Amino acid sequence: MSDETAASAPSTMNGRFKKPVKVVIDGREITAEAGHPLLQVALDNGIEIPHYCYHPKLSIDGSCRMCQVKIEKAPKLAIACNTPVTDGMVVDTTCDEVAFARKGVMELLLINHPLDCPICDQAGECYLQDYSFGYGSQESRTSSPRRKGLKRHPIGERVIFDQERCILCRRCVRFTKEISKTDELRVFGIGDKSRIGTTSERPLNNDYSINTADICPVGALLSRDFHHKRRVWFLQEHESVCPSCSNGCNVKLGIYNNEIQRMVPRRNDEVNDTWMCDHGRLNYHFAQDETRVRTPLIRDDAHAAPASGNGAGADVKYATTLDAALEAAAEKLRGAVSVHGGGAIGVLGSPHLTNEDLFRLVQLVNALGTPNFDMIVPVGPADDFLIKPEKAANAAGARALGVKPGDGGKDAQAILEGAKSGELRVLLIVGSADAARVLGETGIKDAVAKLDALIVVDANRSPLTDAATIVLPGLVWAEKDGSFTNHAGRVQRVRQAMEPHADLQPEGALFARLAALFARGSAPAAYDAAATLREIAAGVPAFASIGFDTLGSAGLALQEPGAAGAAEAAAPAQA
Amino acid sequence: MGVLSEELKQRIADEFPKYPEKRAVLLTALHFIQAEHDGWIPPGASKEVAELLEIHQIDVEEVISFYSLFHDEPVGKFHIQVCANLSCCLAGARPLIRAFEEKLDIRSGEVTEDGVFSIAEVECLGSCGTAPMLQVNNEPFLENLKPDDVPGILDKLRSRLGEGKR
Ligand code: SF4
Ligand code: SF4
Ligand code: FES
Ligand code: FES
Repeated sequence: MSDETAASAPSTMNGRFKKPVKVVIDGREITAEAGHPLLQVALDNGIEIPHYCYHPKLSIDGSCRMCQVKIEKAPKLAIACNTPVTDGMVVDTTCDEVAFARKGVMELLLINHPLDCPICDQAGECYLQDYSFGYGSQESRTSSPRRKGLKRHPIGERVIFDQERCILCRRCVRFTKEISKTDELRVFGIGDKSRIGTTSERPLNNDYSINTADICPVGALLSRDFHHKRRVWFLQEHESVCPSCSNGCNVKLGIYNNEIQRMVPRRNDEVNDTWMCDHGRLNYHFAQDETRVRTPLIRDDAHAAPASGNGAGADVKYATTLDAALEAAAEKLRGAVSVHGGGAIGVLGSPHLTNEDLFRLVQLVNALGTPNFDMIVPVGPADDFLIKPEKAANAAGARALGVKPGDGGKDAQAILEGAKSGELRVLLIVGSADAARVLGETGIKDAVAKLDALIVVDANRSPLTDAATIVLPGLVWAEKDGSFTNHAGRVQRVRQAMEPHADLQPEGALFARLAALFARGSAPAAYDAAATLREIAAGVPAFASIGFDTLGSAGLALQEPGAAGAAEAAAPAQA
Repeated sequence: MGVLSEELKQRIADEFPKYPEKRAVLLTALHFIQAEHDGWIPPGASKEVAELLEIHQIDVEEVISFYSLFHDEPVGKFHIQVCANLSCCLAGARPLIRAFEEKLDIRSGEVTEDGVFSIAEVECLGSCGTAPMLQVNNEPFLENLKPDDVPGILDKLRSRLGEGKR
């Protein structure tokens, strides 16, 4: 049964080839596609019809009755969500009869509601609050005791359930049937005793479980990560993209005090509809936890304990300025190139950086004259929905921009081997966690002992930043402007949502400055992501026509090689 | 070793040909199980029925919880189901329930210590015209009741205790 209900889902997919019809809503003539739900047509045209159970990405339930409207010639009010538009339909959403019906629905919903908005995470973005204010009555006509129910019930590892707030719209049930296809939730009981629940053996633990908290129109299902963390009206919301795999789910970052409080999905029908996975949603703490590298560091050999041999004792590092660290790095690179040639340098790029950062990195590598250039793309489990095997946001962008070995150059594995064997003199690693994992503890020791310099650029600590000769702090994605290219070649905008610490700079700026210092050239123009993307568009054919001005909030597909001018504009994302 | 006997499973399977799909047998299967297990559905049974009918266990549990005539906990030999929906409440279901509670010294939702009686409040049984009303087990409705009728009803039921198997 659940397989078929998904097919009845409304929205754009199944109406595409139907013929247009004319309907009149509140006196406005509107052209719509036959068969579309009246409710969606109204919403798409900026006419608000209050609703709880309807969700554009779920099948129609028709259970809340909040969306009732008056349709000319119909014997009684009809629910707009389950009424397909037909030619000549005349609809009134503002008459007294409709207002009275809405008031009645609100009264029934609130009879047992605990009214605990002051301690409810949903307050401020709650349909019940909004509609109560807009369509309800200010007074209660009953004084009988309110029904008691489960409070703060751990319905899953990452989701909390408050039964008293639930209005039984069944969005969550339909989500687990139709979207996650895991079927953990049902309505148990009847009448007054109806409640959402799971079986004891199968709590709500699927990989997408927190989406139920997003679509719950009230504060009945809540994300545990965000529970009692911050009132939503204090959050500044910024559009961004999830950095945790190559799907590139569109998100909104909620920022308070320059820290990410939560990440929620943002609708993009070309990428993630209105969903995101739990792992991606919760993987933001690295942007602000104690693993952040915030100070440039230089290992000062003069202060190192001499007796400890392979460099392990020489781990005394001194905080320095960014200028001094960049200068030191340039000197090491210059030294190695002048004595041994460009082939003595190995560079590992990072699929976590933006297109703009990586373009500057490619330019730096060209300036260094080394073919030993590659990256390590972390991989992990995937599914046939959103979760992709490449656990980085921009592996496709890195490939498109040429992060790969030059002629006769070493690949990532060979670069790390070359560092351990002493074949390479200087190793520049950008984004070090994956390289550290591949090298292992002894590999890192060997490499440090053999190399003249290990230069690491990273936003977060790793065994490699701990061992490096020079550490240049990087930024996390939420601190910079730029773009990522997802697994399907869709370029999507990320926006600066947090202020970087002190005078830290995006990696693109570091690479540009390093290239200039290496060549003893004049300082480059101040780094600007928008300008860099314009340079990319001019220089890399796949990126032609891609720029901050054209990406919008939904992104654009990379041009297929050869298919000039075929970049397909995306359907605009909707809230 | 399962909760359901092989013979019971066979009886359920024998119902399959009567319906277009196996899941349609669910209500019948649950009735069979209750009849075999002292009027309630024991733990573990829902899993086995789900396997038999090729549906999710949660579907079975949802159905059990929906119908007041299925019980996932033991009920009394005489399960007194008093309608507590609108018409019956308007016509005096509350005092009726209170009378049963006082007489039996249990709350609605509970079973007497000797396992003979239990009280439940149920949704409309479709006999609003004769409200307030109740149903004992699957027997014919008792209608147009007053709290004063309660002692008589209980005496009658007690007098039947000897009959049949407990
Ligand atoms: S928990 Fe939320 S989404 Fe689920 S039925 Fe209740 S109100 Fe609707
Ligand atoms: S599927 Fe990938 S991009 Fe989407 S939320 Fe999960 S980790 Fe992030
Ligand atoms: S939105 Fe139409 S009935 Fe709920
Ligand atoms: S309300 Fe009691 S039988 Fe209908």
